[in-house]
Amino acid sequence: MTATERAPAAPATLSARARPLRWVAYVVVAVALLAIPQFASPYTNLQLTLILVYGVAILGLDVLVGRAGQVSLGQSAFLGLGAYAAAYAFGHGWGPVAALALAVALAGVVAVLVAIPAVRLRGFAFGIITLALPAFAVPLANRLVDLTGGSQGVAVVATTAPEWTGQADDQWRLYLVGVVAAVVFWLVHNLLDGRLGRALAAIRVNEAMAAANGVAVHRNKVLAFTVAGLCGGVAGWLYLIAVQFVSPAILQLNLAVSLLVALVVGGTRSLLGALLGAAFFVLVPNVTDNISPGRSYLVNGICLLVVLFFFPRGLAGALRRLLTWTRHRVAR
Amino acid sequence: MIAVQQIVDGITAGSIYAALALALVLVYRSTGLVNFAQGQMAAVSVYIGWSLVETGLPVWLAVVLTLLISLVIGALTERLLIRRFEGQEPLVAIVATVAVLICFNGLINLVWGGSVRAFPSLFPDDVVSFLGARATWGDVGTVAVLVGTVVILQLFFLRTRLGLALRTAADNPSSARLLGLPVGSLLLVGWGLAALLGGLAGCLVAPSVPLQPNMMDTILVYALAAAVLGGLDSPLGAVVAAWLIGIVETVAGANIDVIGSDLRIAVPLALLALILLVRPQGLFGHRDVERL
Repeated sequence: MTATERAPAAPATLSARARPLRWVAYVVVAVALLAIPQFASPYTNLQLTLILVYGVAILGLDVLVGRAGQVSLGQSAFLGLGAYAAAYAFGHGWGPVAALALAVALAGVVAVLVAIPAVRLRGFAFGIITLALPAFAVPLANRLVDLTGGSQGVAVVATTAPEWTGQADDQWRLYLVGVVAAVVFWLVHNLLDGRLGRALAAIRVNEAMAAANGVAVHRNKVLAFTVAGLCGGVAGWLYLIAVQFVSPAILQLNLAVSLLVALVVGGTRSLLGALLGAAFFVLVPNVTDNISPGRSYLVNGICLLVVLFFFPRGLAGALRRLLTWTRHRVAR
Repeated sequence: MIAVQQIVDGITAGSIYAALALALVLVYRSTGLVNFAQGQMAAVSVYIGWSLVETGLPVWLAVVLTLLISLVIGALTERLLIRRFEGQEPLVAIVATVAVLICFNGLINLVWGGSVRAFPSLFPDDVVSFLGARATWGDVGTVAVLVGTVVILQLFFLRTRLGLALRTAADNPSSARLLGLPVGSLLLVGWGLAALLGGLAGCLVAPSVPLQPNMMDTILVYALAAAVLGGLDSPLGAVVAAWLIGIVETVAGANIDVIGSDLRIAVPLALLALILLVRPQGLFGHRDVERL
């Protein structure tokens, strides 16, 4: 977008010439993505699956935090709720679709019920209220031993690769999670690419101004919160598919904060940013552990500060600037 | 009489939340940020205090030195790290404070290791009784130090030139700059003072809990709730809210069986939710009025 603004003459011809090329690029990327699980180790496949899982959770958070500008510290509660719902469903012999429906429905209902009172608050007060979600959810999960397995958690066999696919379990799970994640990203993209997206942008910039211009502020904020909760629920279901296990650790405030951090690192208001943030969240601790196990936490914090220092718009923002810059060089 | 005892315990716990909440309010008033690293910075102060005590210094001297070192650490954190994020999107600045939290946590692990340590008492271990309630000198001292701190803070902000300048810089940085105030240095002082207060909270709580890198995490949640409940920009409000939270938490935890020890942290948050729904600006906060 900035490219066309800065150099109006060149891109017109460039984009016309580039259009078939772009489709070729899409196909190549898609084939490459589909092929990766065939060559990667089970461990790598699990890491990729987890990136997609957290990517969906972060995408939901982005709708609420990035688009609507309401900082939330409660996303881990929805992720956990979805995972526990799925664990219950799989544990009682339900099919995957029924499990997904339960996870999404529970997360959605809780999100609406919390959102209706919570969205009346602004700024930090809203953030601190959402912090109550993990604070309630962790003890609750520890106590409802019959449903949740208490502090031990529950292990279930969610899905195994069907015979006809000829795939190993890790490959099958990655494909399944990938397809569902792609659908969620597509749905959220479409949802934001219109009236709701503009309404949320108006609310983020100035709530009073948005209300004065006829945006139904409360209703749209409830909607944003609900979308965040729904994505959290789906991510929870995906998490269970990926890990086959859930414990109260997933509900903790630490995870909610980490997801918020990952969102900013990846870049707010960007689909790619959600994935890059998830990749940062999943991969960087592994890398820092390898560099120096004792200092993993410190190195992780320093990596974070470095990204924030040099790319305040996140990794996606940095990538976009890099693309614009190379396009300029190519156009000349 | 049980009730009096619980209120005394509540005020003691609340005073520690209050000290950290005051630090949060100070940072919010000077930079418009909520500093998630405040608790972790306090933990760093406690570890520094522990090391000073280990060198053989008297406890009180060690604490005073610790507070001065905390002041410097807070000021340096603002100047070197947070300054870059001021005036940007608040979300990025908040996440930057989370990054600072992670770094300080890693630093404690690196320097002092993860093993649990004990901090000496600041006050005699004797017990005093009044109105049928019992409290240790530590409890009495904690409350007294907090009350003293609030009085000094109020006098500082209302009666000194530096206090006035700090309030000006926080209220309207651009006007303050036009008046010739060194706004940058004032923000630095605000962060330094906040770290000092956080260090004080840490030293007050340290004798009664084991020293761990994440020892202040739970207290930070209480302090956040207190600061928001008090209205975020009001020191007095933060203290009153912290006491209220301490009392309600202790009384509810002791008398309502369902709550037990694990759900205690949910009590202040539920209280916060209920009160904010009636008064969204907090107990002592100012309602934001905006002209379009």
